Amino acid sequence: MGMTLVVKKTTTLVAPFLVTYGAYLALYGYASPGGGFQAGVILAVSAILLMTAYGPKQVKKHFPLGEVSLLEGFSGLFLTVLALAGLMFGAFFLNFLRPYLPGGTVVPFNVGVALKVAAAFILTFYLLSRWVDRD
Amino acid sequence: MIPLLAALPLSFAFATALLLPLHRKNLAKYLFLTGAFVPWGVFLLGGEGSEIVGGWTRMGGIEVAVGVYSRWFILAELLLFSIAALYSVVYFRGKVKPFVLLLLIHTGLLGAFISRDLFNYYIYMEVVSVSTFSLVAFPGSSEAKKAAYKYLMLSMISSYFFVFAVGLLYLKTGYLNLYLMSQVVTQSKEVAAAIAIAFTSLLLKAGIFPLHSWLPDANSAAPTPVVILSGITVNVPLYGMLLLSTYLPLSVQFKAALTSIAFISMFAGVGMALLQRDAKRLLAYSTVSQMGYALIGIGTGNPLGAVYYSFAHSIIKGGLFLSVGSLSDARGSRRLDALSYRGDVLIAVSVIALSLAIGGVSPFVSALGKAEILQGLTWGRWLVYLAGVGTLAAFAKLNYWLSRGVGVRVGGVYRLLSIIPTLLVMGFGLYLYRAFQPFDAVTVGAGILTFALLRLSGLTDRGIGFELPVGRDVSINAALYALFLLLLLHVL
Repeated sequence: MGMTLVVKKTTTLVAPFLVTYGAYLALYGYASPGGGFQAGVILAVSAILLMTAYGPKQVKKHFPLGEVSLLEGFSGLFLTVLALAGLMFGAFFLNFLRPYLPGGTVVPFNVGVALKVAAAFILTFYLLSRWVDRD
Repeated sequence: MIPLLAALPLSFAFATALLLPLHRKNLAKYLFLTGAFVPWGVFLLGGEGSEIVGGWTRMGGIEVAVGVYSRWFILAELLLFSIAALYSVVYFRGKVKPFVLLLLIHTGLLGAFISRDLFNYYIYMEVVSVSTFSLVAFPGSSEAKKAAYKYLMLSMISSYFFVFAVGLLYLKTGYLNLYLMSQVVTQSKEVAAAIAIAFTSLLLKAGIFPLHSWLPDANSAAPTPVVILSGITVNVPLYGMLLLSTYLPLSVQFKAALTSIAFISMFAGVGMALLQRDAKRLLAYSTVSQMGYALIGIGTGNPLGAVYYSFAHSIIKGGLFLSVGSLSDARGSRRLDALSYRGDVLIAVSVIALSLAIGGVSPFVSALGKAEILQGLTWGRWLVYLAGVGTLAAFAKLNYWLSRGVGVRVGGVYRLLSIIPTLLVMGFGLYLYRAFQPFDAVTVGAGILTFALLRLSGLTDRGIGFELPVGRDVSINAALYALFLLLLLHVL
């Protein structure tokens, strides 16, 4: 079941930092290098690292397939609804939050994209792990 | 309003995808149908015009537009997708994933047809392609998987080359917006090379002759509702060629080369269609030939001809695939000698009417397309008539086999839907063309005579069949793509 104790311990220690870094990139990406896609990939990597260290079954117990695809669908819907909400203020994809929030709608967009990308990558690895005989 | 055409189906696609983890499968068809029909409202209320997404300037934003040409593509898409949506509600009963993928195709098609920006166009073309790959593989049979793999590999190769060409154009002009690009573009070797690369990629995706080999495989293996849409998915690359040819300078010899390729594709498609023993492959090879007609419009600088012709072709081919696909699903075989429309008046009438329509016979809307194409052509008009005779001969073959044997029972919804494309083709023909050409009777007669002669000589029944391992098949076609690319780069 999974890799050696050293690998398991290291990944468990690294994973929370990766999540923090991903969250930082998503939230602050409007003003610094970063953005939704990169943040999403890093969020997904934290789960994928755990998956390689502990085996897919363990990770699937904590993040079940149904919940991950729920997150994916909701974040996709959130993005389109946010884009459509701009319509009420004048134009599709209008940055209507600019006066109230630094970066305006860019921040929620980055968060939505990050969650969508992370969920999609984790789902892809879940599907690929069906062909892995280890674990 | 215009971006909503693509945005609304996309949000319904996500909403439908949510039903699977929420365990509300039974709601899927209602969400799917709403998503399929809601762009009609945007199209009918919005009218024509151009808009920059997000209220930006043209230089910084993405331009979308419904124009003189694109509205025909959008109308064809909406009509055909509505039919396919009603068909798939019955066909994919109790499933969710195909509905999501179909809505993504809907998004991609509408998004591609409204875009006036090369990169945006590329993205939506990919949305269509990627959803189509998975739907082609959906039946899960080894044939379907092979067809999907082949389509995936060839389509991806051409996509990468296309995006490379877009990058070259961006490098030379500094814009991705086609209008701005056309303002600053000058004739240079790089621009000419980019145009040649982009055209080669789009020719592969449109299924033009030497690069067509994915099309018959994908069209014969895919589930029927997806094949109904195949008439419109090949129009996406055609729209791309139309955009490139209207906004960028094409050299005279490049246009001549395109016209020659179009003629070769017309005859090769008809020739291959005449040899087929598989009903769906016959229709697919006819698509290869029909896309040649539309390409003539591009090659002769006659976009309106290409638009009218592909409008007619997409509805006709959708209708034919619907009727023949329903018959072959009911029978469980695609062989011509196993299928029959005996005892089914609706399907028989629609197959016969659409067979005449695809030959460009005059009460139907395709006659208008053909007349427009012929108007722009300075040489080789008789070749178009000859290809028309060939098309009619191929469809005489289809009708000959379908009118024999024992019919099967086809579901009621499928039968009712099969008549709609026929009515549309007839209605648009009467509304737009209003001319009746007695000469068409001669063409039809010549077509039937050609088929009779070929049948007597035994050529049409032999069939051609050789199968390569799918890996080698893809490699050969990729090499063919490379050679074709070099040829077009040589012509420039």
